[in-house]
Amino acid sequence: MSETSLHFVEVVITNKKGVKDPEGDTIHKHLILRKGYAEVLGVRTGKYILFSVNARSAEEAVKKVKEICEKLRIYNPIIHDIEVRISA
Amino acid sequence: MPLTSEEVKEIRKILGREPTTEELAMFEAQWSEHCSYKSSKLLLKFLPTKGKHVIIGPGRDAPAVKVFKDWIVVFKIESHNHPSAVDPYNGAATGIGGIVRDILSLGAKPVALLDMLYMGNTRNPHANWLIRGIVKGISDYGNRIGIPTVAGDTWFDEVFNVQPLVNVACVGIAKSNDIILSSPQPGDLIILMGNATGRDGLLGSSFASKPLSEDVDKDIGAVQVGDPLTEKLLIDAIQILVAKKAVRYIKDLGGGGLTTALCETAADHGLGAVINLEKLHTRQHLTPLEILVSESQERMLIVVDESKLELVDEVLSKLDVQYSVIGYFTNDGLIKIFYNGAKVAEVPSKELAKPRPIRRASIPPLEALKGLKPFYQLPPEPDYREAIIKLISSPNIASKRWIYEQYDHEVGVRTVVKPGFGDAAVLRFLDNSLRGIAVKGDANPRYTALDPFNGAANAVGECFRNLVAVGSKPIAIVDELNAGNPEKPDHFWYFEMMLKGVAWMAEELRVPVVGGKVSFYNEDHMGRQIKPTTTIVGVGRVEDVSRVMTMEFKEHSSLVAIVGVTYPELGGSEYLYRVFGLEEGEIPKPRPASELRNAKFIRRVIRLGYAKAVHDISLGGLAIALIEMAVAGRIGVEVDISKVYTRGVQRLDEVIFSETQARYVVEIDSRYVDDFKHLAERMGVNISIIGRVADSNQIVFSFGPNNLVNLDLFTVVDIYNSILEKEVEGEV
Repeated sequence: MSETSLHFVEVVITNKKGVKDPEGDTIHKHLILRKGYAEVLGVRTGKYILFSVNARSAEEAVKKVKEICEKLRIYNPIIHDIEVRISA
Repeated sequence: MPLTSEEVKEIRKILGREPTTEELAMFEAQWSEHCSYKSSKLLLKFLPTKGKHVIIGPGRDAPAVKVFKDWIVVFKIESHNHPSAVDPYNGAATGIGGIVRDILSLGAKPVALLDMLYMGNTRNPHANWLIRGIVKGISDYGNRIGIPTVAGDTWFDEVFNVQPLVNVACVGIAKSNDIILSSPQPGDLIILMGNATGRDGLLGSSFASKPLSEDVDKDIGAVQVGDPLTEKLLIDAIQILVAKKAVRYIKDLGGGGLTTALCETAADHGLGAVINLEKLHTRQHLTPLEILVSESQERMLIVVDESKLELVDEVLSKLDVQYSVIGYFTNDGLIKIFYNGAKVAEVPSKELAKPRPIRRASIPPLEALKGLKPFYQLPPEPDYREAIIKLISSPNIASKRWIYEQYDHEVGVRTVVKPGFGDAAVLRFLDNSLRGIAVKGDANPRYTALDPFNGAANAVGECFRNLVAVGSKPIAIVDELNAGNPEKPDHFWYFEMMLKGVAWMAEELRVPVVGGKVSFYNEDHMGRQIKPTTTIVGVGRVEDVSRVMTMEFKEHSSLVAIVGVTYPELGGSEYLYRVFGLEEGEIPKPRPASELRNAKFIRRVIRLGYAKAVHDISLGGLAIALIEMAVAGRIGVEVDISKVYTRGVQRLDEVIFSETQARYVVEIDSRYVDDFKHLAERMGVNISIIGRVADSNQIVFSFGPNNLVNLDLFTVVDIYNSILEKEVEGEV
C-alpha cells in the first residue's frame, strides 16, 4: 500500500448559469449599485466547502470528494454547477 | 404537456388561421391541466360552494369568507408537487411564495401558513433528501417573509419516495371594507410589478401537467428559485397600495405566467387587452414567446386607473419594487400582443382562458376491491404494549417537532395555540378584541388510496373535528386533490371518487368548499400513481381566544370520557399497517350526522366550562389519542377499556385502535361530571366515562380488573418526541 497524505479539496457550488441567484441579485442591486459602483455589472453567490482528505494522490482526493458530493446530495445536479479542485 | 393534434385543430378554428408560434405557446401554457382544469372542471361543479359566509367562492385567485361582521378571511391551498420532486428546496419555497401572492390578490394581509406534506420513507436516501429539502425550503422562505407556519399535516410512505406531495396553504385577513372586489375597466393600465422576468420556469405548468420523466435533468427550464426578499417587498407594497385605494384589481403571476394572468383577468370581465412586451423589465434578453410563458417567481399584475399611476409610482419607487406599465385593457375581448410594434399574437381572451372541458373515462381498477374487504379474519391479537410502542414510533403519529421547530410559528404574536398542543392552530385578529380564527389541514393518503370516496369524506370530517376540538365553529374549507394521470381511466376514477366524497361530506356538514386546487400526473416514471390524496384545509370562527380548548391533560382527578360510538373499524388503520403490515379493508365510514351532533355537544361542553381538554380521535385510535393528551400534559392517565361504548366489537384491538370517525376524548372538570352526563343525555350523544387523569407518571389501560398495558409516561414522551428526528437523521 502506498502512503497517503493530506489533501485540501475545495468545492464551490453555484446556481447554474441560467438559474436565478436572488442573493447575488440582492447584493448587486441593494448594496453595490446603491453605493455607486456602477462598473459592477453582476454578482453571483455560491457555497464554498473545504475538505481535508487523506488520500494517495490529489486526483484520488478530488474523485472522493466528487463522489461524496454526488452521493450525499451536497448539491442538486439539476440546479447547481459544482467545481471541485485542489486547494492551491 | 404539448398540445394534442385535436387541440391544435381547435385553435385553428378559434383563430380562423394558422396560429403563430407565440400563440401556440400561449395556448399550451393556458390549456395545460394545471391552469385550465380541463379534465376536472365538469366534476368540480359537484362541490357545494355557497353559504351565508361566502363573499367570493371558487374562480378567483383565492376565495374569501366573512368570519365576523367586520373581518374577512381569505385562504387557499396550492400544490407544488412536481417542482418539489426535482428541486425540493426551491420547489417547496416557491410553493409558499405562490400561495401567499394568491392571498395578496384580494388585498388581504397574509398571517399564517400551513404545510401538508406527504413524503417518502425517511430511510430511503432519495426520499430523505427530498424531505430535508422540502422542510428547509418552506422554513427558510416562510421565516424570511415573516409569516408563521402554524399548522400542518405530515405523512411518510414509500409511495411518495420519488413524487412527494407538497400542499401549502396561506390564510390572510382583511377588514370588510378593505378587500378588493372591484373589476378592471377598459382603458385601465396593466402593470407588472416585482421580479424581472427571466428564462426560469419556462412552461412550468405544462411541466407539472405531465408525468415525471426519467431524465428530469432535461426539465431544467422549469426550475424556479425562490426570492423571499422580493416577496416581502410585494407583500408590503400591496398592503400600501390597497390602503391608498390605488389599485382596481390584482392578480398573481403563477402557473402559465403572463399569459394566464392576462387572459383570465380579461376573460373573467369580458375584456380584451393590448400589450407591448418590450416595455417589460426583464433579466436578460428574451424572445416574445419566452416573456409570454416565463414563470419567473415573485411577480404580480396590478390593474390601475390612469389617474392613479403617479400614486402607484410613488409607492413602488419608495419600496424599490420594479414595475413596468405593459399595456391596457380594451372592450373588444381580444388579447393583442405586440413586440417592438409588430403584432405577435391576437387571441380571443375567453377561448384562450377556458378550453372546452373534457369528460375523462373513469373506471375502477381491480385494486379498488381492497377497500371493500371486510375483516372476517384478523391476525392474532398482538402484545398490546409492543403494539402501542410501534404506533407511537410511527413517524405518521410521533411528534412533528423536528419539522415545526424549524419554522417560526410565532412571528406576529397572533398564535394562541402552539403546535403540538391543539388539534388546530388558533390565531387572534389583534384588534383589541378576543376574536380569532382556527385553521387546520388534514389528509390520510391510505384512506383515499383504499376508498377514495369515503377517504376524502373522512378528510373533511377530520378537519371539521379538529376545528371543533379547539372550540371553533367551522366556516368553510378548501380542498387539494392530488391524483394520478387523468388520461388513465383507472387513475381518473380515484380523482372522481375523491371529489364526490368531498362534495358529499361538505354538503352534509354544511361547510362550503370555497376554493381548491387539482394536481394531476402525480406518478413516477414507471407510470405508477402515488396514493391519491385529498387534503382539506378548514377555517373556524373563534369568539373568544381566551377560552380556546387545548388537548393536553391538565389536572389529576379529572375524569376522562370518550364521546361517540366505537365500531370495529380497523381497515386502513395505522395499527394494521404498523403492526401487521396490512393496508387493506373497509376504512372507517364517514358519519356526518354523528359529526354534527357530537360537534355541537363538544362546542357546548367547551363553552360551559365542563371540559379541560379535548382531542379528536383519528390516526391510531383511542389509544393514541389518550397517549397524545398525556404526553402533551406530562401527566398520567388510567382508563378501563371495558367501559368504552362500542357496537359489534369482538376484540380489544377493535376498541383501542379503531379509527371510527366522529369521536373525541374529553377531560372533564371533576366538578361538572353530572352536568356533562346530563347534557349528553339531553342532546342524544353517546358518551362513556372511561377513567381519570392520574396523579402518577403511568399510562394504564385495563380491561375490568385485568391490567392490559402499563407504560412509563416519560419513556413514551421520549419516544414520541424524538423518533422523527432520529428517523430523518438516520439514527434508528
